[in-house]
Amino acid sequence: MILQAIAFWILAGVAVSAAFMVVAARNPVRSVMWLILTFFTTAGLFVLIGAEFLAMLLVVVYVGAVAVLFLFVVMMLDVDFVELKQGFLQYMPVGALIALIMLAEMAFVGASWAASRGEAAAQPPAIPVSASNIEAIGAVLYTEYVYFFQAAGMVLLVAMIGAIVLTLRHREGVKRQDIGKQVGRKRDEAVELVDIEQGEGIG
Amino acid sequence: MYAIIVFGPLLGAAIAGLLQRYIGDRAAMWITTLLVCLSAGLSLYAFYDVAFVGNELTIEIARWFDIGAFQTSWSMRIDTLSAVMLVVVTFVSSLVHIYSFGYMSHDPHRARFFSYLSLFTFAMLMLVTANDFMQLFFGWEGVGLASYLLIGFWYKKPTANSAAIKAFVTNRVGDFGFALGIMAIFLIFGTIQFDGVFAQVAAMQGQATEFLGMRFYALEIIAFLLFIGAMGKSAQFFLHVWLPDAMEGPTPVSALIHAATMVTAGVFLVVRCSPIFEAAPVASAIVAVIGAITAFFAATIGMAQNDIKRVVAYSTCSQLGYMFFAAGLGLYGAAMFHLFTHAFFKALLFLGSGSVIHALHDEQDMRKMGGMWKVIPWTYAVMLIGTLALTGVGIPGTKLGFAGFFSKDAIIEGAFAVAADTGSQVATLAFWAGVVAALLTSFYSWRLIFMTFHGKHRGPQEHFEKAHESPPVMMGPLLILAVGAVFAGALFYSPFVGDAKDGFWRESVTFASAATHGEEAEHGEELHAEAGHSDEASETAENVTGQLTGDEADTEAAEAHAEGGEGAAHAASEEHGEEHGGHHVPTWVLWTPFVVTLLGFLGAVFFYLMRPGIPRRIGESGGPLHSFLYNKWFFDELYNATFVRGARGLGDLFWKVGDVRIVDGLGPNGVARAVRSGASRLSRLQTGYLYHYALVMLIAVVAIAGALIVLKG
Amino acid sequence: MTESFAVNFAIAAPEVFLAVATMGLLVAGVIMGDKSARLITWLALATLAGYAALALAGLANGAGAAFSGALVADRFAVFAKVVIAIGAGLTLLLSDSFMQKEKLSRFEFPVLGLLAVLGMGMMVSAGDIIAVYMGIELQSLALYVMAAFNRDSLRSSEAGLKYFVLGALSSGLLLYGLSLIFGATGATDFDSIAAALAQEESLMFTIGLVFAISGLAFKVSAAPFHMWTPDVYEGAPTPVTAFLAAAPKFAAMALFARVLVGPFGEFIGDWQQVIVALAGISIGVGVFGALAQSNIKRLMAYSSIANMGYALMGLAAGTQNGVNGLLIYMTIYLLSVIGVFACILAMRRKDGMVEQIDDLAGLSQTNPGIAVALSMLMLSVAGLPPFAGFIAKLYVFMAALDAGLVLLAVFAALGTVVGAFYYLRIVKLIWFDEPAQGFVRPGRTVAYTAFGSAALAFPILVVFIFPLISQAGAAASALFS
Repeated sequence: MILQAIAFWILAGVAVSAAFMVVAARNPVRSVMWLILTFFTTAGLFVLIGAEFLAMLLVVVYVGAVAVLFLFVVMMLDVDFVELKQGFLQYMPVGALIALIMLAEMAFVGASWAASRGEAAAQPPAIPVSASNIEAIGAVLYTEYVYFFQAAGMVLLVAMIGAIVLTLRHREGVKRQDIGKQVGRKRDEAVELVDIEQGEGIG
Repeated sequence: MYAIIVFGPLLGAAIAGLLQRYIGDRAAMWITTLLVCLSAGLSLYAFYDVAFVGNELTIEIARWFDIGAFQTSWSMRIDTLSAVMLVVVTFVSSLVHIYSFGYMSHDPHRARFFSYLSLFTFAMLMLVTANDFMQLFFGWEGVGLASYLLIGFWYKKPTANSAAIKAFVTNRVGDFGFALGIMAIFLIFGTIQFDGVFAQVAAMQGQATEFLGMRFYALEIIAFLLFIGAMGKSAQFFLHVWLPDAMEGPTPVSALIHAATMVTAGVFLVVRCSPIFEAAPVASAIVAVIGAITAFFAATIGMAQNDIKRVVAYSTCSQLGYMFFAAGLGLYGAAMFHLFTHAFFKALLFLGSGSVIHALHDEQDMRKMGGMWKVIPWTYAVMLIGTLALTGVGIPGTKLGFAGFFSKDAIIEGAFAVAADTGSQVATLAFWAGVVAALLTSFYSWRLIFMTFHGKHRGPQEHFEKAHESPPVMMGPLLILAVGAVFAGALFYSPFVGDAKDGFWRESVTFASAATHGEEAEHGEELHAEAGHSDEASETAENVTGQLTGDEADTEAAEAHAEGGEGAAHAASEEHGEEHGGHHVPTWVLWTPFVVTLLGFLGAVFFYLMRPGIPRRIGESGGPLHSFLYNKWFFDELYNATFVRGARGLGDLFWKVGDVRIVDGLGPNGVARAVRSGASRLSRLQTGYLYHYALVMLIAVVAIAGALIVLKG
Repeated sequence: MTESFAVNFAIAAPEVFLAVATMGLLVAGVIMGDKSARLITWLALATLAGYAALALAGLANGAGAAFSGALVADRFAVFAKVVIAIGAGLTLLLSDSFMQKEKLSRFEFPVLGLLAVLGMGMMVSAGDIIAVYMGIELQSLALYVMAAFNRDSLRSSEAGLKYFVLGALSSGLLLYGLSLIFGATGATDFDSIAAALAQEESLMFTIGLVFAISGLAFKVSAAPFHMWTPDVYEGAPTPVTAFLAAAPKFAAMALFARVLVGPFGEFIGDWQQVIVALAGISIGVGVFGALAQSNIKRLMAYSSIANMGYALMGLAAGTQNGVNGLLIYMTIYLLSVIGVFACILAMRRKDGMVEQIDDLAGLSQTNPGIAVALSMLMLSVAGLPPFAGFIAKLYVFMAALDAGLVLLAVFAALGTVVGAFYYLRIVKLIWFDEPAQGFVRPGRTVAYTAFGSAALAFPILVVFIFPLISQAGAAASALFS
């Protein structure tokens, strides 16, 4: 138990500091790096509570896909981050104040929850011990939670349609690959035999 | 059928008012007139059907309000009372429509005039057929509106405009009371349906309620408030000031609205609410006193007026006083009877005056008239009939007489009988006021006739020479009304107040014990048989004797045994010598009205035919009594000094200090300024920057959460 | 898994139909290309009709819940779905000619609209906090895209982006709140949460509820979570603004009622003050903000903020009457606002759309039909008797007074006075000012929608008002059974 506690505090501490650094870092590429660290430590926390599937998912999806995508975007866009930061500094005190108050409130809520947490207090359902994570999720995902699963599918569909609607453009004068045309091509369309006089080239 | 009676005029008004441009003046006039005439024809049948056959009914047309316990619907209550009013209203209205064909023939806005007339008729019919107070109030306000429109019909004439406003404002005072009365009824009874209210009256007797911080008997206060409404509409004392000024409107309007129908709405209201008034003795006494005062007071003013229409107007006021004191004394049948006959002869007088005015090119001043009987003999004839009817000429003890004879005498005798039976001081006062007013009525009525039709013509000679009889379309209605003025009394005496009255009124009017005495006294007069001994009656008779201060006996009273008082401008009276039965009016009472009428006639003959110089000299010298009467008891001046100027001063104060500085300064203008600056500040918050928006949201969340933690933690 | 799949399916039939039909339309659109936009729009309308019909047909089976209570089909949900279908259908109908003229006509638009409706349907019949979140996300995501639909217009893109970013923030708040609720009670479905709370209330739940309410308040654009509204309303293409202003508002309000009054009705102490505050601030911000506007779409944005305040007043009552008033208010508001936007869509001159309030000057002379319709709608929205808007306000005011919220009611009444100013200003502009350059003749659908909506605003049509009141009453009672 003591090992777990130590692991928790380390992971939690790193996660929070890394999250802070995401916001505080000057260089956006570094921000993304800090973000990746946050994801990793969060995955570690998931492992600690026995949700290894979620931990893996977090690493694969968020680190492997999302964060990399972020990096691409950040690197490809020429954004003047220094200019953006100025607004940030201007509002820093107000933001910090709000954050502090929010922190205090949450601490208070957490404390009151911990204090009142008796036998009667509701507990999240325990993770089934008999089955592995994947088995447990698989058992309910397509049965009990099929509605939410399908709804999530619809959300993704909307996202896809949205991305296409907002970005896909059919520009004139752009050469595109046309498979049918490519395949249906005849020999004489593609090949022309010419006799070249020596030293003259194709004039 | 009833729907046609009531809504026909509305249809006519709508067509004439809205479609006039497309159908033209003539068509508009014809349509309205035909519809009203149709309505009148049906009303006659309805009157027969309801009053004599007994087919009373209530027709519900549509729901109007349905808010919790407050329910009211558009409906028609057809009983004898409303049937009588239906006949009076539609009959006079159609005659006035026809008359207006001639009278308004040169007016460019004829269609509008006819539209208003029909609108008025509709509102009046709504009023009289109402089955609850809400609809009554609707009709009440409707006739007020139509009256305003018609008085101010010649809107380019400033006096007409101010008269219209005066009428409207004065009526507002009354309507305010009426509205309060309706609210009080709803408060006390929980309903405003006539049947529902009347059924509970007995149970409510003695119930007290709070008003203006004091406790009153609920029924008394209701009756009193209703009567304030009636006072306004019927131009009773204190609220009478608008009626004479209303004569600025076209004469047919005066005949229809300000003589025959609208002004009688107050009487109708009191009679309709007879169950309430029966249960409210104090309020009834107030009604009687006010009525008596009005009858006397208006008659005195009528003596000194020179405008022919104003004389008739004050006469109307005075006759309304009669109706009211009759109603106040519980003589509802007599009140309605007088209303009925009065409609005929007063419309006749107005239309006749209109004919005179028409003949003299809009001259209304009687001092510039005279000798007209030669040029307009027909008008003279009908005016004479009207005057005879108004003054109530007839032979006492018989059934020979003009319309007014039956109804007015019924009231005066009824008042005496009530006084005799109950010893009521109010009834005694009313009786004497009625007698004196009868004398004055006779005087000023004949004065009008003599000044207008007799003597030398005093106006411009060319007018006199050019004067001509009115066209047949105007004379026709006059003749019909004249027939009514002669025979209406004799024909309907029996059902209205005589033997047949129980079968006639049935449930529509309540006669309580006090009233029955008076009514039975009429019986006594008819039957002249029973004689019983009543100590009470003899005591009253002694009371009456005690009050008399007369000195000369009038010997024309055949059965008079004792001395009565009589003076030139005072009352004549008889003493009741023999002890007749308690339910019996002594003969001298029967003869009194006749005698005073004769006296008035003789007085008028003396002053205006034999010695026309005397009144002129009085008028010119401007003695205090004359100027007092000529200036209508200075009521207008009094109101002007107190209410009008007071209100204006108060208004100025409120306007310049209260409104402009305080209310506007802090209120609309100040608020508007604050709102404007607040709005622009608010839109400045809307910067368009995303992070500002996000910040606001977060601050809000944190604040709400913090507040809840503080509240609950 | 006690219920069989068939039972679940039957209860979810409207949603299933809508989802399948939408995807079918999407495929059809892809195959036929953008030329099919008009056809797809009409098919989308047919789909909405089918959705509403299926929802109504489900009534015959009585109330039921599918997927472990995540999807509830009761009278409340059915009422809301029908109104949403009507609102969305009308606004899609309005969009067609606009999109054609502005060369924005693309088949994805109606498809996105249908997906948004699917999300709204999930919201109003949610019986589980996950369903709440999923529904809101589905709806919002579709709306973000629609707001940015005119991608070549800077304003439209900006509107979409702002809406998206702030919407993401609000989703975060909502999700955080829902997590706290889950943490406090250990359950996701409403019944279990209520049962757990009945045993022990906790501050964590209260704060979670505050966050969740904040997230929802963003969706209904209640102040102080309203800041996006004016910018998005102004920037988005007008039919999209109409769409945003009508059905999603109703759905979010209905969800509000379902969440707060349904399972947490007993814990009114936890949320009543919050709703009262939101209602009061919304009314204040709405009416005062509207005063300073010159763009009619921005004006309508502030007007909608104020109107949400009035609707929240009904919610704040927390009684059946309150919910009844809320539903009546929102339905009448939805119909009126569609009419107003139909009138705004008619504000087209030869050189394009105009949006300034002053452009309406003298409309009574240049286009009397639209002038009459718009005036009636304005009077109705201002809440003047005898228009329908008055009846709507009457119901929420009565509910608030019954619940003892006198201060709020008084404040709201003062708000209507200020609000009347800018509504009447438009009426005055239309009738009494010198005419500006006239508009071109509006298309038939636009004109008919405007007239129809104005006609419904007029209470002579009791045939409409009374059934609405009784249906809303039945729907409200479903939450309290």
